[in-house]
This record gives sequence, structure tokens and C-alpha cells, in this order.
Amino acid sequence: MNRPLWVALAWAALLALVAAVAPAFFDPVNVRDLIVRASPLLIVASGMTIVILARQIDISVGSQFAICGVVAGLLAREGVPMPLVAVGTMLAGAGLGAINGVLVARLGLPAIVVTLATLVAWREGLRFATEGVWVQDLPGTFQWFGLGQDIGRWLIGLGAGAVWAIVALVLGWTPAGRAVYATGSDAEVARLLGVRPTWVIGGSFVVMGALTGLAALLSAVQFIDVQANAGIGLELSVIAAVIVGGTAVSGGRGSLTGTLAGVALLATVGPALTFLGAPVAWERALQGAIILIAVSAEGFSRVRGVKERHA
Amino acid sequence: MPDAAMPASAPAAPTVSSHGQRRLATPERVLLALLVGELIWFSLAGTNFLTLDNGLEILRASTEVGLLALALTPVILTGGIDLSCGALLGLSAVVFGAIWRDAGQSITVAAAAAIGVGLVGGAINAWMVAGFGRPALIVTLGTASLFRGLAEGLTGGAVNYSGFPAAFLHLGQGRVLGLPTQAWVLIVAVALIAVLVHAATIGRGLRAIGYAPEGARFAGIPVGRRLALVYLLSGGAAGVAGLVYAARLGQARADAGTGFELSAITAVVLGGTSIFGGRGSVWGTILGLVALGVLTNGLRLADQPAELAGVLTGILLVVAIGVGARRGRT
Repeated sequence: MNRPLWVALAWAALLALVAAVAPAFFDPVNVRDLIVRASPLLIVASGMTIVILARQIDISVGSQFAICGVVAGLLAREGVPMPLVAVGTMLAGAGLGAINGVLVARLGLPAIVVTLATLVAWREGLRFATEGVWVQDLPGTFQWFGLGQDIGRWLIGLGAGAVWAIVALVLGWTPAGRAVYATGSDAEVARLLGVRPTWVIGGSFVVMGALTGLAALLSAVQFIDVQANAGIGLELSVIAAVIVGGTAVSGGRGSLTGTLAGVALLATVGPALTFLGAPVAWERALQGAIILIAVSAEGFSRVRGVKERHA
Repeated sequence: MPDAAMPASAPAAPTVSSHGQRRLATPERVLLALLVGELIWFSLAGTNFLTLDNGLEILRASTEVGLLALALTPVILTGGIDLSCGALLGLSAVVFGAIWRDAGQSITVAAAAAIGVGLVGGAINAWMVAGFGRPALIVTLGTASLFRGLAEGLTGGAVNYSGFPAAFLHLGQGRVLGLPTQAWVLIVAVALIAVLVHAATIGRGLRAIGYAPEGARFAGIPVGRRLALVYLLSGGAAGVAGLVYAARLGQARADAGTGFELSAITAVVLGGTSIFGGRGSVWGTILGLVALGVLTNGLRLADQPAELAGVLTGILLVVAIGVGARRGRT
């Protein structure tokens, strides 16, 4: 069963329904806004796919996202040129990811607990440091990279697409990508094949952090100020998109094509609901239902195929 | 990693390292030492910390997370997780408010409905995890979205139910026999879960499932039914916690209990229960709960920023599992 294909079909069906009922949805401005809003999600989800393929999980990305956004704002306010702000923000994210990576890969602590701890610690630490104050008085070069909102929006969409393509290429066509799949399938076998699981797992958290930093920057530049409480609950939407796209939490199985389809479906549901005239308050319930359908669909196909594992 | 034998003795017993020395640093003991440290520090630094009234306040504030954490202990013992309990708390609180105010039913009917919502929610998790064999992490991630989303949808994201009658608010704000009313609920829950985990054969079965589900099945343990039971219990606890929450704050909104699942998991793991299952105790969970409650309350009374509690909790959590992992490896 080809999960990305099914998700893409579900997405197409949703789009067809919207096209029949509310064609205004396909107004170029609306489509563009939709893409810009989904771009940071796609970038973080690309990183999360790597982490989950390596049989790990990172629930601290929302807090990393908030910290990186503030770092980007502070760097820009100090007069650092925007390209260097981007580098600095990604380095900050990579640093935060490295802390998770060391605790998980080097000390062998369970990823879910480690990233639960950093989720809480980073979020509260940021609140402690900023006291909830937004980063304001940013230079004109910050919003939309100083290129105006038209070019800025294009840049964000293209940036997200490029990140997705690069991660997809690396995962699908390079030894590094195969090392991730091998580690997630069976770390011991991977080690015997000459892969170093410690470095693969640690590295996946570092990449996850760097990509979260980039996503935070691309999200922050859409506004005049940088919020100090961005990214709350981001981990849930991101993991949901990856899982709906067919990547197995047990590691080693999945693809970035699936993640793209998952992000597309989950990011379209909310706005589509509004255009169909349904109250937007039901968005999250619908997303939850989609996750559960995706999860149980995998259950069915597994039961029909090979009977494995316990109940 | 645990792969072979289950410990024959109680889990709180000191472990023996590979060199045969008795290890003193069990998670429970580390936590106990930490708790004593907290108590000394806060009684010196804070005003009105070491008073009976403050102790009871801590108990009152910890009840909802406590109920979730207690019910999570058997779930985590089986190697599972329930990320949806905080959202289910919110949904049950909202349903309680809606049935009482919008449907005009009595408080009793509304309370029964709230607990019913918790049980139904737990049954969905149980069905997906025990029936379908899907990973608990993902199932409960999905139901967390679903439950929170239903609460948001029912209230339009804006309605706040309040103005509950005094008799109901007594559950959250009053006292019975000197203790906060809800503390009695917590005590009953402690007794129930402690018996289930430590005194009944079921508890041994839960640990066996956590160590090796396949082995547990061959040993004749009804794995599916046991898993269903723990998720159902977790849902029921979330329903009751939703009532206590509504009674303590006097209001019910869709965002009730946001992040409570994380605090509950923290309390359980801090208490030495292995996140991989198989090892842990209710006693540890209670200690973890008290350590968290005292930390939050003590920092506030010592005029420290509330955020510090979160940062310290994160650090504590890493240290606690670090100690646990070291123990597991020997």
C-alpha cells in the first residue's frame, strides 16, 4: 500500500470539494498565503522525518523554534546582516539539537524523556530570560529580508521547497541517508555494517535543530516583531504530518514524499474548513481524526500482510 | 536493557551492581534526598512555607496532575504512554459545563457524563492500542488532538462555563475532615492504583508486558485485556480530574489542563518508573509528584520567578533518568 499516494489522493479530494463549493479558495493570493504559512512546518517536518527514521523522536522542537526566533531578532537588532543572521539562527538551533543529541546518543537516555525535559526547560528558560517581551525595533532589513513582501514570500516558499528537496535527495540517494534508514531499522546490524549509530542519531538531532532554526527565521521574518512564545504545540503538528505521511515511529520506514503529502493535507484542512463555511474551531478535531485514520489504516494493511509484533 | 528476568523482590529494593556492592542511588532515594533538600532550602528562603496550611495548598494544587500521574504509572509500566490525558481532562471539563448549563441537567448527571467522556476517551485509546496493536505514542498523540479539538469545537474556542453551585465548588475549594476535599479523591486513587500495581497479580502482569510483551503472552497473561484496562483507567482518571479542575478553578474552558500530561509524565519518570516499561512503583510517582508540587510552591513563596520551576524540572528529569539508566545498565 502506497501511503503518500493515498494521502495525496485524500488531499486532491479535499481540494476538489473546495473547488466545487468555494472556488474563491484558489485565488492566487490565498494559495500563496497558504504556502507561506505551511513553509516553516514543512522544514521542521523534513528534519523530524530524519529523526523518526532513525527511530528517535524530538518533542522539544516547539521550544527550539521559539528560542531561535528570538535569537534571529536579537542578532538582527544588533545590526548583523541578514545572511549572517540566518547562519547564526541555524547554529543556535544546531547547538540546541546537539544537547538533545549528546544526551540521547552519547548517554543512551530515551529520546522522549530527554526532549520532554528540554521542551519544558527551553520554554521556561526563554520566558525567564525575555519575561515574555517581544523583540521589537527590528531594522527594516528584517521583515521579508528587506525585499518587500512579494519577493519575501517567494523566498520563503522556495526556501522550504529547497530544504525539502535537499533532505529528500540526501535520504534517498546518499550513504548518509542509507545510514539513517539502517540505524532506524536495526542499530546493531547497522553497526556491524560499519555505520556508527551514535553519530547518526546525534547528527539527526543536530540537523533537526538547524532546520528548526531556519524555520523559525522564515516564520519570524513574516512579522514586524518577534514573538517570545512562538511554536507552542509545534511538535504535535509536525509529528502528525510525518506520521500521516506514512513514516513508521518504529524507525527505518518512510519517506519525505509522504511527509510532503502529510504537511499538504494537514495544512490545507484548516483554511479549507473556513472556505466551506464550517467553524474553524473544529480544525484540530479534524486533524486528530486524520491522524487516527492514518494510524488505523496502517493497522489494517499490516494485519492483512504479515502478522507481527504483539497486540 | 531489561531482557531476561523480572525482579522477584519489590522494585524499591536497592539494586546490586555487577561488583556485588549494594547501590544506594536508587531513583526513589535520590528523589527523597532531593525532597529533603527542597524542604530545608524553602523553609529558610521562603515565608510561610513550612506551615500546615501551605502543605494542604500544595496537595490541593497537585490533585489533578496527581490523578493523571497515578493512572499513567501502570500505563508506563506496560511500556506504553498516554499523551492524551491532559486533553481528555479538558474535554471532560467542557462536557461537564455544557451538560450542566446548556442542557440544563443536574450537577450529578453532568458529573456522570464527564466521567463517562473520560471512560469513552480511554476506551478509544484502549481499542487502538490493545485491539489494533498500534504504537501508544502515536495513537495518543492523535487522540490528544481529537479530544482537545472536540473541546474547542464544542465551545467554539471561546465559551467559558462558570457559575457552578457552591456544593460543587466545595469539591475543589472546600475541606472535608481537615483535608482539601479533592485530596480524598486522590487518596482513594492512590489506594486503588497501589493495590492494582503492587498487591494484585495484575500488577506483576503489567510489568511482564513492559519487559517483554511476547513473553508475557506465552506466560498466559491476557496482554490485550491488561493493556485495555490501563488505558481505560487513564481515561477515567482524566474524567475525574476534569471535574476536580472545574471545581477548583470554578470554570471550564477548552484549554483546561493544557500541558498536564507532560507534568504527569515528568512526575512518573522522576519517580523512577522506566519509560520503557517493566520497572517502577506508585510510591515513586507520589514522591515525584510531591517533589514537583513543593518545587513550584516553594519557588513562588521564595519570590523566585515561576519559570525557574520549569527549568529546574527539566534538569531534574534528565538527572533522574540519567541515574535510572546507569542503574539499568549494571
